[in-house]
Amino acid sequence: MSAILTLSRVSLSLNGQHILRDVSFDVAEGEVIGVIGPNGSGKTTLFNVLSGFLKPTSGTVRFRDQDITNLAPARRAQCGIGRVFQNFGIFREMTLEENVLVALEALPREQRRALGNLNDLVRGTLNMVGLLDRAREKAGSLSGGQMRLLEIARTLRSGKSLFLLDEPTAGVSPKMTSQVADLIRELKAEGKTVLIVEHDLPFISRICDRVIVLDVGEIVLRGTPKEVKGERKLQEIYFGADPTD
Amino acid sequence: MQLLVNALIAGSLAALIAGGLSLVFGILGVYNLALGQTVLVGGFAAWWLRQVAGLPLALAIPGGIVAGALLSWLTFDVFIRPFYRRHIRLPLVTTIALGMILDGLIILLFGERPRAILRETKRVFDAGAFQISLEQMMLIGFTLLILALFGWTLHHTAFGRRLRAVAQHDHAALSVGVDAPRLHRLIVVLSGTLAACGGIFIGIDQNLSPTLAFPLTIKAYAAVIAGGLGNVWGAIACAFLIALLEQLTVGIRWFGRFYVPAGYQATIPLLFIIFILLIKPSGLFQSGRRLG
Repeated sequence: MSAILTLSRVSLSLNGQHILRDVSFDVAEGEVIGVIGPNGSGKTTLFNVLSGFLKPTSGTVRFRDQDITNLAPARRAQCGIGRVFQNFGIFREMTLEENVLVALEALPREQRRALGNLNDLVRGTLNMVGLLDRAREKAGSLSGGQMRLLEIARTLRSGKSLFLLDEPTAGVSPKMTSQVADLIRELKAEGKTVLIVEHDLPFISRICDRVIVLDVGEIVLRGTPKEVKGERKLQEIYFGADPTD
Repeated sequence: MQLLVNALIAGSLAALIAGGLSLVFGILGVYNLALGQTVLVGGFAAWWLRQVAGLPLALAIPGGIVAGALLSWLTFDVFIRPFYRRHIRLPLVTTIALGMILDGLIILLFGERPRAILRETKRVFDAGAFQISLEQMMLIGFTLLILALFGWTLHHTAFGRRLRAVAQHDHAALSVGVDAPRLHRLIVVLSGTLAACGGIFIGIDQNLSPTLAFPLTIKAYAAVIAGGLGNVWGAIACAFLIALLEQLTVGIRWFGRFYVPAGYQATIPLLFIIFILLIKPSGLFQSGRRLG
């Protein structure tokens, strides 16, 4: 499969501190990749670089063979990169239907026309996550899990092909977590590419094809969930080195 | 009754300026302290076009509005945009500097004398309990029209949805493809345009003076702060409330014995902010960078 996303030696320093160091990896179209690592390892910073909120100090980011290293966040979104935020990227004072509509209306004109009737698409999107009967309610009235589902569904229906999911199970009940997992599997079934930052390792093991482990801004491990799980290095990162060794 | 009408007139003017200012704060979270000067540039430009260049009022007014819009464009691109991403409070300093530069330029270009855009005698309608001029009625009508148009745009158009999205969660708005930086510029220009309209009304209804900038800025900020930072409707409501308090303070014969000197009118907005912040620090209405 061809690479949809390529990071080449991406480094980022902020206030003299190295946040990311020489991060390089390819993501093939349709893959689901988990990015794990302890707090402060650079996972969310990596997502900020990918979605354009931070510019790398050096290195390049290519998406669909286009260099997007210096592209603004809104332009990246229009190219097909969608992000789901850890702290819910929901417009809480807007209704559920407005939350979806604003994403559809932000698409480039050609793309928007190709979608057909936007109101039908909004209803279809809300129906997909079982929220159609609450279309006119403010999004702030939803539970954490419902907000997450709405955000992922909105990103999916607004024509994005690469999804950056930042801790999609944070603040979500166990029951809703399995619904979020189902929705991510649906994304994969539709051929979408997904990068997930997550602390819930069993969740990552269940749904990811590959895992990248970051520590102090560097990739220290990569492989299938099974391969990474058995690595001693992973235990060291999360629990520290065993002093008896 | 006359006091209420006066409050409605003064409140309409303040609502135009404070509404735009609150919108800027609601969307960008920055303070523009050169807004009073933008009011004056709009007014003085219209005065110059009418009284010096001899253009008809129908051309002088759009000219003044364009001057305000261009100045606010410059304000955003030179004095706000390069700084607000570094630190949200930097534009506070840069726009004070701009205000001081503009104060000097206004005196240099237009002189220190009060200027009136209209020299003709105004038509005043006498309704018995109160009097009001045609121009004052137009100011109230224009403000109500702008407010209605703004409310409709905010809740029923794609542009309004984008504005609310950026105000509520700018990162999420960017991530769905909303071009937030373009909207930021547009909002600052819109705010400057409303401020210029305010300046033109001052020039038509009363006299323009270079010393008006600071009191205008203070009055607008009083409404913005008391209304709940970023709450546009709260700022507009407080603009009318402050205008009413000003009129009542200097217009009433207190205890049947004395009037408060008119010079104290300018202190009302400041006392109002202090009072509101003491009893409700978040402002009279819901505070926050949200446009519900």
